[in-house]
Amino acid sequence: MQKIFSVLLAGVIALVSCTKDAVNNLEPAEKPLYITNVTSGTDFTSYATFSLADSVAVISNNQLIERVRTAYDAELISAIAAQMQARGYTRVAHGEDPDLGMSISRIYNDYTGLIDYGAYWGGYGGYWDPYYWGYGGYNYYFPPMIGTYTITEGAVTVDLLDLKNAPATNEIRLLWNGLIRGTGTFNAARVPQHAELLFAQSPYLAN
Amino acid sequence: MKKTGLLIAVLLLAAASANAQQGEVRMTASIAGAMPVGQMKDLTDNTTLRGIDVAILYGVNDKLSAGATIGFQDFYKKFSRAIYKLEDGSDISAVLTNSLQTIPVLATVRYSIKPGAAIQPYVSAGIGGAIVLYNQYIGEYPNQVNKIAFAARPGAGVYIPFGSGSETGANIGIYYQYMPYKHIPGITNLANLGFTVGIGFPMRN
Repeated sequence: MQKIFSVLLAGVIALVSCTKDAVNNLEPAEKPLYITNVTSGTDFTSYATFSLADSVAVISNNQLIERVRTAYDAELISAIAAQMQARGYTRVAHGEDPDLGMSISRIYNDYTGLIDYGAYWGGYGGYWDPYYWGYGGYNYYFPPMIGTYTITEGAVTVDLLDLKNAPATNEIRLLWNGLIRGTGTFNAARVPQHAELLFAQSPYLAN
Repeated sequence: MKKTGLLIAVLLLAAASANAQQGEVRMTASIAGAMPVGQMKDLTDNTTLRGIDVAILYGVNDKLSAGATIGFQDFYKKFSRAIYKLEDGSDISAVLTNSLQTIPVLATVRYSIKPGAAIQPYVSAGIGGAIVLYNQYIGEYPNQVNKIAFAARPGAGVYIPFGSGSETGANIGIYYQYMPYKHIPGITNLANLGFTVGIGFPMRN
């Protein structure tokens, strides 16, 4: 009876491994997430102009690494600017006293973990039998073997800052933030989709 | 892959019968499908054909048999991209995917209404537990909830011997499976209508 249930269990495990894979069934355009936050009470019609830097900040593990303008960055800056202009805002140069400041950042965070390789040298017949070394019947001793791995996850953020009221409030307030995350975030061909979807969920962001 | 998995499972189960020792025990191994009903349709309204059902029943007499049933069902639903409001007030645009697997393990009784007939209708009842594996993917990021739930399953079906005097035959059944489940917001139970198509045979050398 024990053998029967072992076989049944093997059958069920075989089926579990055949579940429809949710991630593999996503189209490339379906993978990214677009998250936006807005400061409540903001009247976006009170702003008319914006300035957008021509480079992107690269931030790794909470530290600014550089400001760059790769082909991808240029595409992204252009697409974001176009979205703002389509919503009635005028892009002006940095020195022309803009109402809104926009910045784009690429953010990378590393996540590190440990892998315990375990006793791969024993417990099954795949490793060399001690007899091979001339010590049949002996046991192996291996010290613990730990490996590390690092996963780097990236995202893009777009920040919209209140410059118009900064002199009165003595601070530069964040009015709106957009985050793009997921596979395909840094695919230049997807930049138009990124910009469109990021702004589409913020209809209040218009002059 | 799906078909290969089902084939492997059925072959394994057939192998199990060859090794069985108890003469009065019968196995029914079936391919199973299920259609979500009630609140479960909020998670997925897709009928699944990715399932298996195995019953091992001991004949108490020519009408009544009792034993156990183990099953597996894989439910899946991908929702088109939509905007959702998060608790912190932010908005998220994402494609949501619900992936839910149930593995019921049930004590089962079956009552054959016309034993010995060419077509033998029966009614059955099962009660026990189910492993419920639930993953909601926001884009490609999963949120996993794995729990064990109570499960009850009334059912009915027909057994059709392959020939006069044959101990092996086809089995076609339907059932209603109910699982109280409160680990997903807005959901208090998971229920589905299932059907099985399989083979029944004695387990002996």
